[in-house]
Amino acid sequence: MSGNGNEKEQITLTIDGQELTVDKGTNVLEAAAQIGIEIPYFCWHPKLDSVGACRMCLVDVEKIPKPAVSCATEVMPGMVVKTATDEIIKARRGVLEFILLNHPLDCPTCDKGGECDLQDNVFNFGIDKSRQTFTRKRVIDTQTKTTFDDKRIGPEVWRNMNRCVTCFKCTRFNKEIAGEWDLGAFQRGSSTVIDAPPGEQIDNLYSGNVVEICPVGALTNNDWRYKIRNWKATKADSICSHDADGQNITLWYDHRQLFRATSRPNDAIDDGWICNIARYGYQYINSPDRLTKPLIKKGGTQVEATWPEAIELIAKKFSKIKGDKGSVCIAGLLGGNQSNETAYLFNQLFRSVLHSNSVDYRLEYTGLTDGEHSEAYNCLYDAPFQISSLETADCVLIYGSNLIKDHPAVNLRLRKAYRKNDAKVYTANPVETKSGDISTDELIYNPDCGTAFLVALTHALIDGKLYKNIDEAKAAEIKSLLEPSNLNEAATRCGIEVDRINYLASDLAGAKNLFILGGDYLRASSDRSRQANALYNLANLLDIPDSNSAILASQANSKGARFLGLSPQLPAKLAKTLADKWGTTLPESTGCNTSEILKGALEEEIDAVFVMGANPGMRYPDGPFVDAALDKLDFLVVADLFETATSLKADVVLPLAGWSEADGSYVNLSGMYQKFSRALKPKAGIKAGTEILQLLMTAIDPQLKFDLSSLSQNTRDVIDSWAIPQRDKEKFFPVKQAHIVDHEAFPYRLLIGNDLHHYGYLTEHCPSLMKFASEPYVELSTQLAEKLGIDDGDLLRIESTSGKLVLKSKISEFFEGDVIFIPNNFSAVDVNCLVSKETGGWVKIEKLDDK
Amino acid sequence: MILTTTTIDKIKTRMARYPSHRSAILPALTEAYRQVGNLNPAIYKEIAKIIRVPYVEVAEAASFYTMFPKNETGRYLLQVCHNISCSLRGADNMLLYIQEKLGIKLGETTKDNLFTLISVECLGGCSAAPMLQIDDTYYENLTREKIDSLIADLRTNAAHKNQEAPSTATPDSDSTDSKDDV
Repeated sequence: MSGNGNEKEQITLTIDGQELTVDKGTNVLEAAAQIGIEIPYFCWHPKLDSVGACRMCLVDVEKIPKPAVSCATEVMPGMVVKTATDEIIKARRGVLEFILLNHPLDCPTCDKGGECDLQDNVFNFGIDKSRQTFTRKRVIDTQTKTTFDDKRIGPEVWRNMNRCVTCFKCTRFNKEIAGEWDLGAFQRGSSTVIDAPPGEQIDNLYSGNVVEICPVGALTNNDWRYKIRNWKATKADSICSHDADGQNITLWYDHRQLFRATSRPNDAIDDGWICNIARYGYQYINSPDRLTKPLIKKGGTQVEATWPEAIELIAKKFSKIKGDKGSVCIAGLLGGNQSNETAYLFNQLFRSVLHSNSVDYRLEYTGLTDGEHSEAYNCLYDAPFQISSLETADCVLIYGSNLIKDHPAVNLRLRKAYRKNDAKVYTANPVETKSGDISTDELIYNPDCGTAFLVALTHALIDGKLYKNIDEAKAAEIKSLLEPSNLNEAATRCGIEVDRINYLASDLAGAKNLFILGGDYLRASSDRSRQANALYNLANLLDIPDSNSAILASQANSKGARFLGLSPQLPAKLAKTLADKWGTTLPESTGCNTSEILKGALEEEIDAVFVMGANPGMRYPDGPFVDAALDKLDFLVVADLFETATSLKADVVLPLAGWSEADGSYVNLSGMYQKFSRALKPKAGIKAGTEILQLLMTAIDPQLKFDLSSLSQNTRDVIDSWAIPQRDKEKFFPVKQAHIVDHEAFPYRLLIGNDLHHYGYLTEHCPSLMKFASEPYVELSTQLAEKLGIDDGDLLRIESTSGKLVLKSKISEFFEGDVIFIPNNFSAVDVNCLVSKETGGWVKIEKLDDK
Repeated sequence: MILTTTTIDKIKTRMARYPSHRSAILPALTEAYRQVGNLNPAIYKEIAKIIRVPYVEVAEAASFYTMFPKNETGRYLLQVCHNISCSLRGADNMLLYIQEKLGIKLGETTKDNLFTLISVECLGGCSAAPMLQIDDTYYENLTREKIDSLIADLRTNAAHKNQEAPSTATPDSDSTDSKDDV
């Protein structure tokens, strides 16, 4: 498969007597498929390069003396191909006989049975008898009689070499697509072994895909192994409920539980490859720890209650607070992975029924107390960036994002751009990331000095006259908006050499299809609005389209929640749409965002908060503040799947259904609206978000009329009415590097975020993901470990002015200098106790002597 | 570190001859083998670092070739070709004879740690079959007599060497340092 889309040249050939015209570069196998002729294969895959390893796809080509491998034979003008001659059928039969020589024929107990290419191909072409007489077991070492028995080669991957047809799809995917080096083909010929290299295991983020593309049962998934025959399972189309990429998945389930998630190829998003979080991240739905009964706090302890009791209590309390103190005293916080339908009703509950504008979905942001996000931030956040378009890039700047952790699907597209399009990749982060191996230059800026780096880059573009569409006077004016005020100063501040910044500037300016993307480090930074201003300026200076410069959204439905107006300020047009839909007037009071709600709670201006599908108690990156705020509340209602740090403080806890337990939709980071279907119904006692909200609203306002059949359509209408702001090409914002908190006694900058195999607070209820990372740790660089005399696994005390923690160390090649990282996905450890506005995230480390 | 600076320098010199680092995997493995006498994952890791390729690629390449023993061998590794041409010209008999003479089975090492016997795929010496390889030298047109004198020579050689430098335990590579494998 060598066509790269640029060639328009057409080739005419004949396959089985039918003449057809295809693009130059197509192979015979694909050409035949275009006219519905199926050629059998094992090793070919539309997204991988052809290798011709399995010899199953043999065809007869006139003037080629022996059968040709169709997947590795490019079409030629006038080619005459026959796919089903007697000779070819015989050749395929021969290939299959060899493949089956050692095959154990254990189909009755093989997980692949029923969806196995080998079964299908033998059914179509194979013989019904074997001529072999020896044992069907490959022996790799005649002395020790070592055979290819099942071996677990990674936390979730089992390998059985007896079933392998050595198509090398797994190793090719791993190396070519994922760029990972933890799987290889060892030995040779009939002794070939697929395995992780000695001493390692296959545990990369995309490792589940090797199981999925295995055409036979050689690689099987631990979570699906020996549980159910695939034809006994029911399937539901779904979307990953964790990150914002919106990877498409199929859920397999029966009446008891979900069994697995497989990819549902969508070239616009995931290209058919899903990350392990999408693949195993469904498992929290099955968890035995789910909440199944409402809880009401009585005399300081939460006791089980019935739904009518709980709903009545909430309705009564909310109505009372609304009547006594006013509706401004009630606020709502909604999780970023609640469906659009839930978000729509949540909004209606607050704005229309309770008459409060204090709703927010941005629960993991600090610094919103200083005001809302800047215009530039919102514009870049809403930008219509399409994941698939990234593969056409010839130059990409990833700013402030550990892309593989943050956006697994975008990460694979970036690798594709590098692989197929020879794109130049630049990354600028406070630490090294996995994208380093494809980066032309990996720029590491000093902690909290991302703004200085962007300022330096802007200076470099202006000094080098590399800008587009503006004149010199304007350029000088833009320069005066920046602080530090010149390139050298800004470069020193961010700690990157001037030459490297100049080089980057000239590459960015020379690019034909440039993308500038920002992600998690930017979003988590408290001066993200300023960094967004700088990115906005850069996009204008370089004159790139709106769709090519974006700040990527964080959670499965953050963007949906935004489009549905789940933040306090509503654009006028959206307000009107919502008021019309609900047949009410909207409150005129100013609403509060997350930070303001928490602040309000602390200052006793807000009395009641309803938290749905979110865990700010654990996730809000200012631990002492959020704890104090939630403790001060008069009335806290939490609807969630599990007992969480937040729910433990609640007066009423409602068991909430998971995403797969109701029909719904998400909007991904591209603004793409995607529906998903319900798989298994929730267990008794658990209710879907939409149902809970409907019960609550009718309890508060019995007159309210509902038409749930139009809920989905109403939601869609509101989302579609969101006006995506256009970038004003004339507009440039002032950018100033923020002052860094004084931190003399605390020399190390702490970064908090997701572990590679976790996302948010739900994934710790997924047993498979816990196998990859089961406990919190503190990640630090080799240099720092050497300096402090720390070994892998040592216990360290991490201390800041606001708190301290003891964690195991993990030494990482991806860290440099004085930056350390702690994942915030594990409820056992409250990482956020270390950060508050005063500490600015600076900590000190001490090694504990006793292990 | 297992590899000596001399070996690392040799690897780097050979690396410079190729446009792609990957191409230097086999020469690097050869140099490492010449120094150590066998290969193991720790060596693959060192090589991977020196020539800047993923560890798995080095491990894969090493595992592909029987010419790189993965376990400790005797001082002399007797690699007898058992492919078609040699077999037709009596390789099986030669193998049996060597086993009988040294008192070991295929894949084993003599008690004095001098000889290890293995059979290998075609070494490209078909014109002088049957043949065997020790270090970088081919011993061709084998007969029982030739094997007798070869083994006697190697024994004397080893005894002689041991007197001079008793600590030597690596394959004899004096005459072949500068030669490249084809």
